[in-house]
Amino acid sequence: MRMMITHLRGASLGLGSGLLLNRLAGYSAVMACCLLLAAAALPAQGLTDQALLDPPTTTWPTYNGDYSGRRYSTLDQIDSSNVHSLSLAWLFATGTQAIKSTPLEVNGILYFTVPDNVWAIDARTGREIWHYYRQSEGDHIGNRGVAMWHDRLYFTTPDAQLVCLNAKDGKAMWIVKLADAGLKYFATMSPLVVHDHVIVGVSGDVTDIPGFLDSIDPMTGKLQWRWWVEPLAGEKGSDTWPNVEAMRHGGGMTWITGTYDPELNLLYWGTGNPNPVLVGSAREGANLYTCSIVALNPDTGKMAWYYQASPHDVHDWDAVETPVLFDGEFNGKPMHLLGQAARNSFFFLLDRTNGKHLLTAPFIDQTWSSSYDADGHPIPKPHVAPSPDGALVEPATGGGTNWMAPSYDPQTGLFYVTATRTFSIYYLTARGKAEGWGGRDRGLWEDTSTRAIDYKTGKIAWTHELGRGGSSAGNLSTAGHLLFTADNAGNLLALDPATGKTLWHVNAGGRMENSPMTFMLDGRQYVVVAAQDRLMAFALPEQASASGMQSAER
Amino acid sequence: MNLKKNRASTAGAVWKALPFVLAFGMIAPAALPALSQEQHAPAARHRRRRAELKPTPAVESGQKTFSANCAFCHGEDATGGRGPDLVRSPLVSHDKAGDQIGPVIRNGRPSKGMPPLHLSDAQIKDIAEFLHYRQAESLASASVPSDYALKWMLTGNAAAGKEFFNGVGKCKDCHSPTGDLAHVATKYSPLELESQMLYPRREDRRTVTVTLPSGETLKGPLDHLDEFTVALHDSAGWYRSFQLDQVKVSVDDPLVAHRQLLDTLTQADVHNLFAYMETLK
Repeated sequence: MRMMITHLRGASLGLGSGLLLNRLAGYSAVMACCLLLAAAALPAQGLTDQALLDPPTTTWPTYNGDYSGRRYSTLDQIDSSNVHSLSLAWLFATGTQAIKSTPLEVNGILYFTVPDNVWAIDARTGREIWHYYRQSEGDHIGNRGVAMWHDRLYFTTPDAQLVCLNAKDGKAMWIVKLADAGLKYFATMSPLVVHDHVIVGVSGDVTDIPGFLDSIDPMTGKLQWRWWVEPLAGEKGSDTWPNVEAMRHGGGMTWITGTYDPELNLLYWGTGNPNPVLVGSAREGANLYTCSIVALNPDTGKMAWYYQASPHDVHDWDAVETPVLFDGEFNGKPMHLLGQAARNSFFFLLDRTNGKHLLTAPFIDQTWSSSYDADGHPIPKPHVAPSPDGALVEPATGGGTNWMAPSYDPQTGLFYVTATRTFSIYYLTARGKAEGWGGRDRGLWEDTSTRAIDYKTGKIAWTHELGRGGSSAGNLSTAGHLLFTADNAGNLLALDPATGKTLWHVNAGGRMENSPMTFMLDGRQYVVVAAQDRLMAFALPEQASASGMQSAER
Repeated sequence: MNLKKNRASTAGAVWKALPFVLAFGMIAPAALPALSQEQHAPAARHRRRRAELKPTPAVESGQKTFSANCAFCHGEDATGGRGPDLVRSPLVSHDKAGDQIGPVIRNGRPSKGMPPLHLSDAQIKDIAEFLHYRQAESLASASVPSDYALKWMLTGNAAAGKEFFNGVGKCKDCHSPTGDLAHVATKYSPLELESQMLYPRREDRRTVTVTLPSGETLKGPLDHLDEFTVALHDSAGWYRSFQLDQVKVSVDDPLVAHRQLLDTLTQADVHNLFAYMETLK
């Protein structure tokens, strides 16, 4: 079942790593010059390997804007002093289901998706350049966007295929099958291009199918390597399953885009919940490597280390949330860190060089754990597992947070997460051997807030209430001392990232279900968000932004 | 519910292809896989409610034949035993009306110890129906059936629940077993009663009092509240909205007590209280 294909890297892709460390540590003036050069070189080649490694700060070439997953932009034309005059630059409506993707911006063109659909639109005007449509069967719950490499785009589909499109005209160049949609695999995630690997994950937990992560050749669509979430019989980790049958059907989907540290050459990825869902008795043990953060070599797919956020999960609390990479002090020492606000309502801080646990702290009220083991795993309290007569637990299966993007702001040292307070009663309904889901929770009440986590202590620096109900709004922080997100009433918000105070808002006429992004074009900074099926670009009024910040601050 | 309709609503696109496959299958069986791949049915919605599933006569017939011929190895519910779990079987997932299950039954799998079985085409087709039904049940397992049985839920002590209701739970401050809760157990299914008891989630009973700079006071049901705006219907029935920074706002939410309770309830409190609610027939 396991496939491992040795892959030879192209000689042209050798990379200097000094620059890369610089990028993660912060942008220097020297770097800015390099980035300008890279930006100037872009049009001829589309998105080059070098541009992916050192993304020009004026563009947004990957799902998270860069490999770190911080969703922090160095742009500061729009700042806390002028954000009050932010206004609509253009609007593009798809007439489809809600947009959940983060658009890419490369060379003045935005690329974004909903299931079955990809659009290229003019980033200056919001006018359509091309639209790709491919009807498919399978779960159409959402699509997080495309990946780009040179002049190609990569798009995942509800029937678990990977489509390679020509970025110039939106024509399909090839389509390859990632997994068997007949077994209820599907795909929603935005692939991640690392060197000449298109890294793609899959979704699906209604049947008991194993999760995996693929590396695909960007030219040919051929599989380079596949990392299975479950180990093989006899391998390390296989003793965390009761038997081979349970392990082969153990789930653990890879449905959110991971991050990459070029210096360490490690890919960081979160894995989903084990199957059957909610039924612990069917799979005694920790169930590795489900609900984990794993570090993989992108050239071989070999695992360097793992950290399991929820050993033996029985609440559907995936640990797929973005593993955010940042450098900073911890206990007085400069460190290469990885932070994740996990669906189980806990924030985890790791040393990303080796996976060593540094800190665990709840980022939102929860009722399922009040202590940790030696490695910082929350220990479940008694009677919180789903039961035939129902177990009242906070959070619900949707978790304390979910797929919406968090953000880390190096200026404040705070980690921002859209956090849900949500009570649910979990029923175990399976009698006999559980298949798929062994039960389900029924939600009682929820409300949402943006929370700022001090990564050094795990303490909440501030909370900004977003209102009743759940939220799917992601976060973007910028060097202009701004944090963009949205509330549950349909207001787009710009908050002060140091205090959580609202600096700007507008009723967008619908809830944000994607994560905001930003870019600079013709000297004008744009912030792009989606509200339902409408993609909107905001910028400072033209005369204010034309001569830069001076006029805005007049 | 007739067979085709039932299946179309439970297993999605695979079933939508079924009439076509059957119609063409008699003429050109070899064309089946290609044909089925070209079906472009709308998105299948997988998380079906289990309560929608009802076995058809063919499913029931297939279950009997399965029980007599297959269950010894594959289990009565087809989840496996000596033989493989057929609910998780990719072959069953890809089967259409017995086109893949049939050959396995007729020829057996001698290398794996499965003998050929001499069953009629109709019997094989019904076994396939049963196995697909079992897969549909599995796909529908991601929700609690609305008719979930009381016996599973009734583990608490009603007397202890009554004591909680009148004591530390402070339920009696707002509710009465002979008043608003009279016969409440007859108004809701057990599952819905437990949810309603914990939090009446579909109801927003908030009222708001807005005091204008002039000192005028408006009171009514709350229409909207975010950090910028408040809106209500006033006593004359008009919709009124105000910027929050220009008025004083006081919201009264009778469900506050429920939210506070959620923070403190033990599992035993929940089950005892539910057992007490179930006595209010």
